Amino acid sequence: MVIEHDILTFFEWLLPGAGGMGALLTFFLAVALLSVFLTLLAYLFTSVRHGPFEAFYVVAKSIATGVSDVANTSPRRVLALARLAVTEAVRRKVLIAFVVFLLILLFAGWFLDVRSDHPGRLYISFVLTATNYLVLLLALFLAAFSLPNDIKNRTIYTVVTKPVRGTEIILGRVLGFATVGTALLAMMCLVSYLFVVRGLDHGHAAIAETVEEMTDRNSQPIGVRGETTLNSHHRHTFEVDADGYGRTDAQMGHWHEVLAVAGPDGATQYEVGPPQGQLLARVPIYSRGPQPLRFRDRSGQPAEKGISVGDFWTYRDYIEGGSQARAVWTFQDITAEQFPAGLPVEMTLGIFRTHKGDIEQIVRGELEVVNPETEVRSEPISFRPTEFEIFHLDVPRDIRVVDPATQVSRDGDLFEDLVAEDGSTEIWVRCADPGQYYGMSRADLYLLAAERPFFLNFVKGYVSIWLQMVVVICFGVMFSAFLSGAVAMMATLATIVMGFFSGFIVGVFRGVLDPNAPVTEKVLGGGPIESFYRLITQKNVSLELDPSIGAVVIQTIDKGLVILMRTVVMIIPDFGRLGTANYVAYGFNIDGDLLAQHGAVALAYAVTVSLASYFFFKSREIAA
Amino acid sequence: MAAPTVEQAAQPAEKTAAQADVVIETRNLSKTYRDFWGRQKVRALKALDLEVRRGEIFGLLGPNGSGKTTTIKLLLGLLFPSSGQAYVFGEEAASVKKNEKIGYLPEESYLYKFLNAEETLDFYGRLFDMPAKVRKERAESLINMVGLQWARRRQLREYSKGMTRRIGLAQALINDPNLLLLDEPTSGLDPIGTREMKDLILRLRDEGKTILVCSHLLPDVQDVCDRIAILHQGELKELGRVSDLLRVEDVTQIRARGLSDEVKEEIRNLIQQHGGVVEGIENPTATLEQLFLEIVKDSEARPGRRAPAPAEK
Repeated sequence: MVIEHDILTFFEWLLPGAGGMGALLTFFLAVALLSVFLTLLAYLFTSVRHGPFEAFYVVAKSIATGVSDVANTSPRRVLALARLAVTEAVRRKVLIAFVVFLLILLFAGWFLDVRSDHPGRLYISFVLTATNYLVLLLALFLAAFSLPNDIKNRTIYTVVTKPVRGTEIILGRVLGFATVGTALLAMMCLVSYLFVVRGLDHGHAAIAETVEEMTDRNSQPIGVRGETTLNSHHRHTFEVDADGYGRTDAQMGHWHEVLAVAGPDGATQYEVGPPQGQLLARVPIYSRGPQPLRFRDRSGQPAEKGISVGDFWTYRDYIEGGSQARAVWTFQDITAEQFPAGLPVEMTLGIFRTHKGDIEQIVRGELEVVNPETEVRSEPISFRPTEFEIFHLDVPRDIRVVDPATQVSRDGDLFEDLVAEDGSTEIWVRCADPGQYYGMSRADLYLLAAERPFFLNFVKGYVSIWLQMVVVICFGVMFSAFLSGAVAMMATLATIVMGFFSGFIVGVFRGVLDPNAPVTEKVLGGGPIESFYRLITQKNVSLELDPSIGAVVIQTIDKGLVILMRTVVMIIPDFGRLGTANYVAYGFNIDGDLLAQHGAVALAYAVTVSLASYFFFKSREIAA
Repeated sequence: MAAPTVEQAAQPAEKTAAQADVVIETRNLSKTYRDFWGRQKVRALKALDLEVRRGEIFGLLGPNGSGKTTTIKLLLGLLFPSSGQAYVFGEEAASVKKNEKIGYLPEESYLYKFLNAEETLDFYGRLFDMPAKVRKERAESLINMVGLQWARRRQLREYSKGMTRRIGLAQALINDPNLLLLDEPTSGLDPIGTREMKDLILRLRDEGKTILVCSHLLPDVQDVCDRIAILHQGELKELGRVSDLLRVEDVTQIRARGLSDEVKEEIRNLIQQHGGVVEGIENPTATLEQLFLEIVKDSEARPGRRAPAPAEK
């Protein structure tokens, strides 16, 4: 799990600033452009029917009516219509969706890989994904069919002949379906939380025969080491120190506490506690500044980048082991108040081996904390990172430091010596084994600011699903305001699919229209028609089409199509970005600012799409 | 809430007393149905000019497909006119505000089948922004009025056609409207229901409400309507007071009781002496409706035995 993008604070994101013109301004600009475009379109259509002068009057009047309808919207009527939508959904047995969800969970055990390296991740992302799709599907069906059914059954006649505004009909529906969806989601959230917690819970017992004494160099006993029983397809080894306190190694993404206790017959027994470390909500602090991550090459000179080890996707830069090469992360605003006990560092390093030897052999590394102002550095702290796992390392408050001028080491204090006046500090990482490489990216190393309750984070994950659901409901209602049920459903589905694949569509757009784009940021093989042509002629995507009139025609049409697709993708919501399942699954706290941003985006969509629904609904002849 | 709206601004500023009495007005109202491509399919209504005045029962007659329902839908804003205008209470038909004072009973009662009678009336009451207490009282009295006390908690999906019609009427009256638009009000009702519906229409008229009835069941219309318009193929064919339209000027009807055959013969001779033509002297037959109503009334008074036909008594 990598957080690719910086999370801005809510107001940084919302208001104009260094990062651009801000979300609010972008929103208003988009809405203004779209409104002008749609008004022109409406005017054109109306002039075909009524002639250009009458059309001007008609369009102006419907906008004026719209303003008055919005102003006169009555909460009681909206609530009445929302209640009706809820009653309808309940009496049409929408709760069956929940039963389906329970069934999925019931049989999930058959499909989930019990020997997974990360059962926690697997379980969490499974329940979140299952809920996400199920709820979006439900929202889609509820929203897309309701209004068309009302029109088909003509029940709408008795509603619109009451003093009901179009705004109320639209809002009532959105609110009603959102209520139904919220209730369902809440139930699903609770059930799936229990499923995850209960599904991951297991215990081990220490095997008495495997317990053996550990001694230090002077043959003094320092504790015991042993193995646990095999449960849930894995076993741990554990170490308990002389004080009777210890823990197991990490297996399948968790560990257990082990305590030495006196047994009934006076002999020492070892009690293995419940699993820990798999249901987390870590709050990371990432490196910041003009150069959040920089490199030193093998001779210790500043380098633009690390070494590429030839991966196609060069996400990580590599540094050579056993040399002066280092990766340097810069952190800002570090205070003793925030980290009273020292700096908890967590990292996930990519390891690239140039010689094999024992593949299980851990590639050792060293870490130094450096004051960027005085260049006082800590003595290197060596570590043995676990591969493919988050590795935790505490840099203690009391630490040996080295003065740059004298090169003499002395006792120092982390915050006094190694953190600059402005609160910035650097962490230098070096690979100690010659011939091996460490790969790093900015997000690979962070300071663990706090751990939040997992349940809250789980709920936040559901809030993200809820936001997506509300947006889908709004789109469903909008399409159903002027299309028949089945068509409205297809249109909403298309919106969801394009929303989820917006990154891919942007890639296709760049592949067709931006030949200079880096290969990682575009999709090869041309636009829709060219791709289809390649598909049926089995032509490799990296080969150019033979120059012919056909190819030119295909590519020209494709250009138009991808521009259209790109435009649509710019308008519809990026559902992939709204999803936060990965945060929960990988054990990172969903930032409140991020959730607030998603909430604002969803609200913006809800408001504009509902407004569009109103005009679509108003301009349609209900009895036609 | 009560900010001046566009609809209000669009009203004609000056109103004469005569205009104030006009509840429904259509000017050159036309409707052409078109298909998806804008090609003309049917001209359902051709240049209809109509005025319905306060306090009258106005009948809109015509065979199936003559444009009656289209007219009502245009008046309600369910359809948009192809040309011409429709005004209800002086407001454009498309305006929402006019609905405050309107009750509409559609052709078939299009109600939510998953609601029961009480919920239905409560729902429509909410749409009029009525407070809870008023809604409850209103629903109570309407359920009693249409005689559905015994089925108030049953979902409408279990209702018979007649019951659906009754609850449909109740929902049309929930706001105590000044104007009622009734589309085929007696369809699906048994003779008793029909009689009650007709009595109710007359009673509502006496309360000062304006009622527009649209039907092809002529006896129903004849019994209740003050004025009628006859539509055929979308065109207005006849318009006027029922009594005027149906009066046959050159025929005189004489009704008498207790005449012997000799006297009847004498009258016949007398007419012929004066140059009149006797078209028929016979005993009148009661209508089947009358017969049916009497049988039911009798059966209710003495349940359990076959009621003798009134003629046998």
